[in-house]
Amino acid sequence: MNSPLARPLASEMGPPGSPTPSTLSPAHRAAATTVRSLRPEPSAGGDPAPVAAPAVKVDIRNVNFFYGQAQALRDISLALYDRRVTAFIGPSGCGKSTLLRILNRIYELYPGQVATGEVLVDGENILAPGLDLNRLRAKIGMVFQKPTPFPMSIYDNITFGIRLYEKLPKAELDDRVESALRRAALWGEVKDKLRQSGLGLSGGQQQRLCIARAIAIEPEILLLDEPASALDPISTQRIEELIAELKTDYCIALVTHNMQQAARSSDYTAFLYLGELIEFDETERIFTHPKVRRTEDYITGRFG
Amino acid sequence: MSAEGTALARGAARARRGTLPDRAFHALTLLFALLVLLILSGVVFALISGALPALGEFGFGFLTTQAWNPVTEKFGALAPIYGTLVTSAIAMLIAIPVAFGVALFITELSPNWLKRPLATMIELLAAIPSIIYGIWGLFVLAPFVQQYIQPALIETLGQIPGIGLLFAGPPLGIGVLTAGFILAIMVLPFISSIMREVFETVPAVLKESTYALGATTTEVVWQVVLPYTRLGVVGGILLGLGRALGETMAVTFVIGNSHRIHASILQPGTTISAALANEFTEAVGDLYLSSLIALGLILFAITFIVLALAKLLLLRLDRQAGR
Amino acid sequence: MQLYTRRRLTHWLVMVLSVVATAFGLLWLVLVLSTLVINGVGAIGPSLFTQMTPPPGSSGGLLNAIAGSLAMTAIATLVGTPTGILAGTYLAEYARGNWFGEVVRFVNDILLSAPSIIIGLFVYEVMVIRMGHFSAWAGAMALAIIVIPVVVRTTEDMLRLVPGALREAAAALGAPKWKVIVMIAYRAAIQGMLTGVLLAVARISGETAPLLFTVLNNQFWSTNLNAPMANLPVVIFQFAMSPYADWQSLAWGGALLITAAILLLNITARMLAAWSSFKP
Repeated sequence: MNSPLARPLASEMGPPGSPTPSTLSPAHRAAATTVRSLRPEPSAGGDPAPVAAPAVKVDIRNVNFFYGQAQALRDISLALYDRRVTAFIGPSGCGKSTLLRILNRIYELYPGQVATGEVLVDGENILAPGLDLNRLRAKIGMVFQKPTPFPMSIYDNITFGIRLYEKLPKAELDDRVESALRRAALWGEVKDKLRQSGLGLSGGQQQRLCIARAIAIEPEILLLDEPASALDPISTQRIEELIAELKTDYCIALVTHNMQQAARSSDYTAFLYLGELIEFDETERIFTHPKVRRTEDYITGRFG
Repeated sequence: MSAEGTALARGAARARRGTLPDRAFHALTLLFALLVLLILSGVVFALISGALPALGEFGFGFLTTQAWNPVTEKFGALAPIYGTLVTSAIAMLIAIPVAFGVALFITELSPNWLKRPLATMIELLAAIPSIIYGIWGLFVLAPFVQQYIQPALIETLGQIPGIGLLFAGPPLGIGVLTAGFILAIMVLPFISSIMREVFETVPAVLKESTYALGATTTEVVWQVVLPYTRLGVVGGILLGLGRALGETMAVTFVIGNSHRIHASILQPGTTISAALANEFTEAVGDLYLSSLIALGLILFAITFIVLALAKLLLLRLDRQAGR
Repeated sequence: MQLYTRRRLTHWLVMVLSVVATAFGLLWLVLVLSTLVINGVGAIGPSLFTQMTPPPGSSGGLLNAIAGSLAMTAIATLVGTPTGILAGTYLAEYARGNWFGEVVRFVNDILLSAPSIIIGLFVYEVMVIRMGHFSAWAGAMALAIIVIPVVVRTTEDMLRLVPGALREAAAALGAPKWKVIVMIAYRAAIQGMLTGVLLAVARISGETAPLLFTVLNNQFWSTNLNAPMANLPVVIFQFAMSPYADWQSLAWGGALLITAAILLLNITARMLAAWSSFKP
């Protein structure tokens, strides 16, 4: 599946010479020499690396993705750091959501969708055949574009995920619900109506309920797929504040079509275009000194 | 949770196809899906095996002879087949234009507040069980037809040479025409509901752009809506036909149950389903029973073809609409 | 302008005809229902629900027929609903785009519109002949076979309306597929599925043809499911076709009863569907 369709990256992208930052594992360094890695250089111009370089949590290597015969992602390699927010930006159809959906293999719900390459989570390849998908997903929280409250009470929405893998006494369950709702900044608004249907909340509240539901299972990674795109500006702001708070504990991947949001909320930014990773760097550098012309065109609004 | 990392690999063996309960649930649903197949194949098998003695005895002649004599054990299916086709034809002749009118009124003419109640009322007409139509037909419609409609038909159309034969004989009330009429009332809601549904699939812009050219509602419907929904309309008509062909109780009450083919549609006749309903429990003798089952087989074959065609057309409409 | 006049004329003619057609269609609903009420109300009284079906020429009620119909409808629903829901679940959740699913869907649609008298013949051959006698079990099975395709169809349709994002959200929490279906998709589609069951019950409660050669009838009170049992549709059929005025009056009473029940079920089902939490 892989070899005939995957072609080498076009030479137009990225500067020549491939950086191999010191934070990488030896194995990865080897990979990076064969395929150009678009890992950001934490240090500019040979300066010493900044203190407390973040640990790599998810290492995406040479990933290709196919919808049936159509290839949606070409040879993507990048790393997500722990306790950092990484934004995926790019025009519609560039593959940013597809990339996110690979990270918990949610795409496998549908037939005919195939990913090749490797995605290492804490060093373990999650694309390996024979992996327990449900346990993988229980380790990774995901929030979708539109709020997806389950047709049940607020309380049951939160405990649904917990009960799948843990048998807790009632009091402990109550604590988990409260702390998840508090962290999602929703507790104050719903603490008196936990038994009411989650469908009765406003759009912004529903989305925060979904975030609470995702963190209630104590995941290590959070995947946010345009979490604010269906919300009003005030709710959007709350979600962004929430992201800033949550990143102290999680590795967060954020897909967004809103460049300001990426600039405000993320530490790293990956720019994708037509299924290829054009540039990946610290957010600040991407938005101030992009290396690639096309990135610059996109973030300045000249296309896309 | 951090210890989970190694646990991920542990699920190796079962991962591809899910956990044990996952596979069990999948298998369970598959089993019941198979049961649906099994029921239909059981129906086909039971009908064929039950019909074999009669078909073996009478051969192809079973389809072409009119004889139906339990005493001499001579059976032919021509009269019930003829009755089934003729009553259904009468029903469609009446129901198609009326259903079209109803669907047209509901989609294009009716004020908005009236649309839902009207559609609901027409659909409730479909919910009334056929036995109710049957006793209503026997006690209300048949006497009315006998007193007013049949004499009028005999007086007028019956006097014309040629087609007069269709309207000859004494006014009995019950008969092929009355049965066809009851069937028309019964299939009307089916056909009009489907027509209404497919009419509603026509994109508004298409209609608007035709109105913008100065077309009347009639012209919009005739030149845009109907061509656009052709497949669906025919599919709906076929579904209605399928129902008319197999309808039992309403027909049994009013058709008169005669195994003779009369030229006149005012005279009694029988249909396959009416013959089954009337005679099945009283049938003595294996050949008699087998002949009745053979009738059932013929009915099933006819309705199967009609329904399969309907389904095919509606499927193509779905594809065309990209649904 | 002559052309325009002709166009307008055609238009008005068609419009008038369409109004006439609608009135004609509704006329029958009114006529049938009013006849039922006029003839049936007289027969409805306490004795209808407390007495057994009488021999000709004496008074009685429909108690045994009502009980028999309720019993067989209940058994048919209990058998047909889970079967239909599971098969419908297969079609909606496991068979998307595969040929086997297409075949099952096609076969189900054929069963859905197959003449009910054919189902009666089938059950006669597999159950009545094998067992050697008519029985309420056979009648209930015939009705169950009519329930199944209705429930399969509505279950599949309703599950398909459940947004994919909801399934993804549950799967993203680590829920295995069967839990996603049972705990999330069913819950989201429950109103629609219930609507289907109600419509199926409405449909079988008036079915007569398949009962003629499966349960037959029974003039007396019987709780033996392994024997012929009285039931409303067949009693109505026999009494209405009889020459006795008492019997005919009871037939009208029974007909009114059945129709009222069915219309009530239908209207409830519609309200349930309208109230459903998910809109496509």
